Amino acid sequence: MFPNNWCKWTPVALSADVPAGTVIPAWTPTGDVALWRSQSGQLSASSDRCPHRGMRLSHGFVRGEALACIYHGWSYGRDGACLRIPAHPDLQPPASINTRNQITTEREGIVWVVNEAQDEPPPSFDGYWPLRSMTFQASIAALEAAAGAKADISGLIRCTLGGETAFLLAVTKGEAETIVHVLADKNASLAQRIAISQAGEQLRRDAESADALEGAN
Amino acid sequence: MKLYDYILSPSCYKVRLLAALTGTQLTLRPVDFHPGGEHLSPALLALNPAGSIPILEDGELVLTESSAMLVYIAAKAAPEWLGSGDPAESAQIQQWLSFSHRLTASLGGARLVEMLLRPGDLAALQASGVKALRELEAALAVQRMKGDIFLTGSKPTVADIACFPYVALAPDGSIALDPYPSIRLWLRAVRALDGFIEMPGIHRLHELKPEPAKETA
Repeated sequence: MFPNNWCKWTPVALSADVPAGTVIPAWTPTGDVALWRSQSGQLSASSDRCPHRGMRLSHGFVRGEALACIYHGWSYGRDGACLRIPAHPDLQPPASINTRNQITTEREGIVWVVNEAQDEPPPSFDGYWPLRSMTFQASIAALEAAAGAKADISGLIRCTLGGETAFLLAVTKGEAETIVHVLADKNASLAQRIAISQAGEQLRRDAESADALEGAN
Repeated sequence: MKLYDYILSPSCYKVRLLAALTGTQLTLRPVDFHPGGEHLSPALLALNPAGSIPILEDGELVLTESSAMLVYIAAKAAPEWLGSGDPAESAQIQQWLSFSHRLTASLGGARLVEMLLRPGDLAALQASGVKALRELEAALAVQRMKGDIFLTGSKPTVADIACFPYVALAPDGSIALDPYPSIRLWLRAVRALDGFIEMPGIHRLHELKPEPAKETA
C-alpha cells in the first residue's frame, strides 16, 4: 500500500495509459495532478488546477513540450513555469505563475509520483506485466478480503484471478475508494491476461458488496 | 437527406458526426427541443409518434432511431463503417448498437436531469451509467491487449460512433470519466479521426493543429 513508512512514492498510473502527447487526471495524497507526457516522451505531474482560472489542466492538451489549459490556452513547461499567455502574446509570464509540479518517475511500466525528493527510488516490479488500473468504491480491507490475500512487504497483493496468478498494487484514495493497478506475470499469455482482466471485474464487485454489507450493519 | 436536429442532443450529433466522417451531405432542420418542446408538436409527432429526435428523412424513407440512421448512412456512403462483413464482427457491431441505448438511458438520463432539469432518479441513473461505463472500459481494455483501439477492431465502425457521444458527455450528468483509462484513449482515437466535428461539450484535439501564430499588425 502506498504511500507508507518505507515508500513515499505513489503509483498513479500505467505508462501505457499516458502515451506521448497526452494528459490524464491522476490522484496523489498531496493533490490531484494532470499527468502528461510531452511529444518527446518526457513525463510531468502538474497540479491539476490552472493558476489562471482554476480549470483542471487534465482537461487540457499537450502540444510539443508544453501542457496547455483548455480554457484560455495558457501553457506550461516541464518545470511548471508558464510559457505563454495567448491573450498577451508580448508578455513574458512572471515566474510566480507555476503549476507546482511534483516529481515523477517510471519503473517497469508504472508511473510513480512524489511531492519531494526521495533518497530511494520507488520499488521496481520487474518480471510483471502491468495490465490495467481500476477504481474500486471499497476500502483496502475489503479488497484484501475479496482477494483472499494481504499486501506483502513490497506492497503487492498476490492473488488468483480467473484461475491465473495476479498481482495488485493498491492505493487508498479516501476512506472507501481504492485505486488498483492490476499486474500479470511477465510471461502470461494474451488469454491469461484477458482472464485476469475480466476476473478483476468480479473482484471489484466482491470488494464493493463486502463494503456495502459492512455499511448496512 | 434531411435531419431534424437539436444541437445539444448527443443522438442527433451521432448522425451529424458519421455524416461528416463519411462525406455525406445533410440538410439540417433545427428543432426547438428545449425550451419549446417542438418535438412534441403535431407536425413532428406525425413524422415520429414516439416524440423523439433525431428524425432522418430521405425521400420516402423516414427513420426515427439513431442507430438505424448510422447504418443507413454507412451503407449508402461508406460501407467500411459497417465492418468487414465477418459474422462475428457484424454481430458485435449490433451488440454495441444495442448497448448504446443503455448509455442513452443511463448517462443521457442523468444528463437530462442535471442539464435540462427533467424529472428522474439521478442517483439511480448515475449508478446504471457507471455500470455501463465499467462494462465499456473492460471491453476496451481487452481490445487494447489485442492491439486494437476501437470497439470491434483496429478500424472504427458505426458501433464506435453510436457509443461515443453519451460517453464523452457523461460529466454533464455528474459522472466522472477519470477512472477509465481505456475509455479515455478510445475517446481520443475517435476525436482524432479525419473529418471529426465537434458539438458543444465535445471539442476537437487542438494539438493536431500547430500553435496559432502571433498576429502581426
